Amino acid sequence: MSNFEFLRRGARRVVAGREIRSLLSEKTIVLAIVIQLFVAGFSSFLVVGLVSLYSPDDSQAGLVDTAVAGDDTDDLTRAVQQTPGLGVQQYTSREAARGAFERDEVDAALLAAGGDEGRIAVTVLVPDSNIQTTLVVTQVRTALRTYEQTERAQRGDQLTRATLDPPPRSASNNYFGFTYTVLVPLLLFLPVFIGGSITVDSLTEEIDRGTLELLRVAPVTLTEIVEGKLLAAAAITPIQAVVWMTLLEFNGTPIANLPWLVLLVAGATVVVIVLGVTLAIATPDRRVAQTLYSLLTLGLFGMTALSPLSPINAAARLAIDTPSPASYVTSVAAAVVAVVLLVGVRSVVPWERVLGE
Amino acid sequence: MGWPWVNLRKLLRVARWEISNTAGTLDRRSVLLGVAALALVGSTAVAGVAGVGTTPNDGLYRVGVTESSPFHTPVDRATELEPVSPSDDRATLRVVDTDPTDRSARVVPPQTQKAQAALSAFGDAVRRHNTQLMNREANQSAAFPVRVTVQYVVQSDTGVSVDTGGDGDDDSNNPSDGATTDAATPADDTVSVGTATPAVTQSGDRTTADGQTGGDDQTPRRTTTAAEGGGLFGDGDDGAGSLFTGQATGSPAEIAPPFPFGSLILAFLFLVPMNFIVQAYGSTILNERIDRRGELLLVAPLSALDIVAGKTLPYLAALGVTTVGVTLAVDGGVLSVLAVFPVALVYLGATFLGAMFARSFKELTFVTVTITVFVTTYVFVPAIFTTIIPVALISPLTLVVRDLQTGGVATTLGEYLFSTGPFYVASGMLFLLGAGIYREEDMFTQRRVPAKLLDALDAQLSGRLSVLLLSAALIPFVFVAELLGIAVLVTFPEELTIPVLLLQVAVVEEVAKSLPLYAAFQRDRFERSYAAAVVLGVLSGVGFFLGEKATAIAQVVGLDNLPLGEAALAPAGLGPATTLGLLAAPLALHVTASAVAAIGATRTWRQYLLTLGLAIGLHFAYDIAVVVVLLE
Repeated sequence: MSNFEFLRRGARRVVAGREIRSLLSEKTIVLAIVIQLFVAGFSSFLVVGLVSLYSPDDSQAGLVDTAVAGDDTDDLTRAVQQTPGLGVQQYTSREAARGAFERDEVDAALLAAGGDEGRIAVTVLVPDSNIQTTLVVTQVRTALRTYEQTERAQRGDQLTRATLDPPPRSASNNYFGFTYTVLVPLLLFLPVFIGGSITVDSLTEEIDRGTLELLRVAPVTLTEIVEGKLLAAAAITPIQAVVWMTLLEFNGTPIANLPWLVLLVAGATVVVIVLGVTLAIATPDRRVAQTLYSLLTLGLFGMTALSPLSPINAAARLAIDTPSPASYVTSVAAAVVAVVLLVGVRSVVPWERVLGE
Repeated sequence: MGWPWVNLRKLLRVARWEISNTAGTLDRRSVLLGVAALALVGSTAVAGVAGVGTTPNDGLYRVGVTESSPFHTPVDRATELEPVSPSDDRATLRVVDTDPTDRSARVVPPQTQKAQAALSAFGDAVRRHNTQLMNREANQSAAFPVRVTVQYVVQSDTGVSVDTGGDGDDDSNNPSDGATTDAATPADDTVSVGTATPAVTQSGDRTTADGQTGGDDQTPRRTTTAAEGGGLFGDGDDGAGSLFTGQATGSPAEIAPPFPFGSLILAFLFLVPMNFIVQAYGSTILNERIDRRGELLLVAPLSALDIVAGKTLPYLAALGVTTVGVTLAVDGGVLSVLAVFPVALVYLGATFLGAMFARSFKELTFVTVTITVFVTTYVFVPAIFTTIIPVALISPLTLVVRDLQTGGVATTLGEYLFSTGPFYVASGMLFLLGAGIYREEDMFTQRRVPAKLLDALDAQLSGRLSVLLLSAALIPFVFVAELLGIAVLVTFPEELTIPVLLLQVAVVEEVAKSLPLYAAFQRDRFERSYAAAVVLGVLSGVGFFLGEKATAIAQVVGLDNLPLGEAALAPAGLGPATTLGLLAAPLALHVTASAVAAIGATRTWRQYLLTLGLAIGLHFAYDIAVVVVLLE
């Protein structure tokens, strides 16, 4: 365990403290949090928007009045009646129904007519004026599906396969999962990405301005400086992760397996930061370092996201409390890779020589 | 604003110098690493688009179902669901199939939100399975006995237009038909009907909508931004698949409500590569400011604009090349390039100003991230409101989507200018603001960002009339801020939305009108007297009013009718205010409020805040009054 000793030593902590203070004094961290808040707010705006659009049951819209007209509309009318949130107005002719729709007397119109090959052609008129359109289309689609089932059943003798009875309609919407598959990973991994970027900046700037040389006069070694910076960046991200998840929890989104999520984020942070440190030292210019850092992080993250050990999927499954063995393995793997990299970077890279050049 | 005209020869020399300088920083190792990284990103993107590998929602819910049940197959096939034994206590949802030989089963009523979501996903899986079963039937007209054509029709009599559909819903691999069924519309010259081919695709395949406009409408005013198929967030179950689509014709399962997430993909396709270029651009600008490196250029016989334009040119060219590349990749045309280019300009302009403000690379990183987030949001959010067209036109991405839709709605010059005008003006302003502080005292000092902002504003002012111009030129930023406010405010409870929105509008507009004045007074550009304050406040108010009106006129000219845009973006009287008498009220408001704010601006920051608060209160009260009157 002697490799962890460096985390406890004073000089690194001083450097890490200096690094964090610099972030605070520039108020950049405030900007970072504002951005994340905005992203989160914006994403939940999407979620809330989608929820209200797609779940007829908690819509404030009330009943969608639907005009039904055309040939042989008994089954269609019944299907509309069975659909919650839809009300039926029967019209004698398609023209009358269309007229009523255009005069805004009804919210939607279903005009049935005979189609090709014995099909029924239904023309659906929906309002193109407001955001309720989506809700109307969704509800009308439910009715039409019921209708399709009925018609299909009537043609059952011409079919060789039987369909399965769909389960009852759920009170939920499909966007419950959205919070976990998009919002949670976003809030967890965006700080990780930014954390690595800060490390690149911090180091290239010190190298650029020559202040790293100045620090050498102080009673700290270069290794300690680099590790201190690493420590600072690595400390901030898991804290942010905990805060975001707590906020989500507070906001009514239960987050399970928080320790595992933190482990995952901490591991990912160290990996990304080690990459950043390496690039900052190995490349001559901030432009090059940052571009390479962004591309490599993006590429690596994308690759792992498609692999069975996807951090996005692991975060989603851990947070929603349906973790698979692979989810735990992903967290542990991230941590193991992080430790290996830390030890490797410490023992393999000749910091004094690299930075002393 | 008094800048000497740019000298092209000098500009090009700076550009050449910038290029050779940049090339000098690249060593072979970095280039190789860069190529490898690009290949990695590229192959990941290709794999992701092809639907290879894990998706974020793999195995999100466990469904307890016996293996003998016919319901096991749909659960097993849905990536979102993971079948487990019904006795497994980890099951989110349990299917009780007492008789596996029949086609029905009971579901244990869900108790939690998660179980509800699982039930919803299970329902989608069953329906998808049914569609697949029916697809294999020989008699397709019996398998899909109902064909639906959706027409989006405006109900009021103020002019009618119709949405064209989106594209294929890739949840159903329905081979039944690709025929376009034109809706039997009665001869109604106010309706244009679009039907979309049910672009039936294999899962993961992206197709673009083939929306046609029919009818007799000469000027279709409708756009659709649903152009992308595929499941980014889902594996194509009917809910998630519909995120991307606005299917207009097909079997009921194929009908998808319009929800244009396709524009988000477009936003990322165009903006992500830009991000890398502007990052490098920000670095080079900030580099000049470190260790007084830019001093050599500053003392050279070059104007600030020569230097700025010269340093920007290579990056602008790179952005142009990227944009053209992405456009070719998505099979777009000239319009796409023309629409995205101003976005690139704003990106560059904002990064330039950010790099002039930032004190360190760390700060610059945050600035870049902020710019990325806001630009992406700005071009993406309006697309959400596609169904409340033509507001979606404020995003140039809407033009791109139109361009990508073969046979889609044509874009008029007026619409193009309406959509991209604010971007051109805003980027010009950003560059001017930045170039104004491209001078020694701002570049090489560690002044705080607010102080630099004041410097930048002050540098744009010369005489009194310049106040009027600057105030008008800030309009695009005001609109951006207000629009972003709207996006965030939608999450608020409805009864709070309108007041908070109006408050936000009042704050944004009053700050925009008076901050330049505060900057000018603090930098002693104008005499600190109440008389001067009132005069300048009035000028600023007039300038803002004129700018706002010009925008409104652009709206009316560019788009035939924009009811919501006016309501959303300019509640300060722009609503139905078409008569001269109604025009006077907002003018009076802007003039009075900014004069009030200007009085405090001559003094200290605190006194400025005080009078600014007063002005905001005045503005807010006026807006509330207008809304109350309009509602009655």
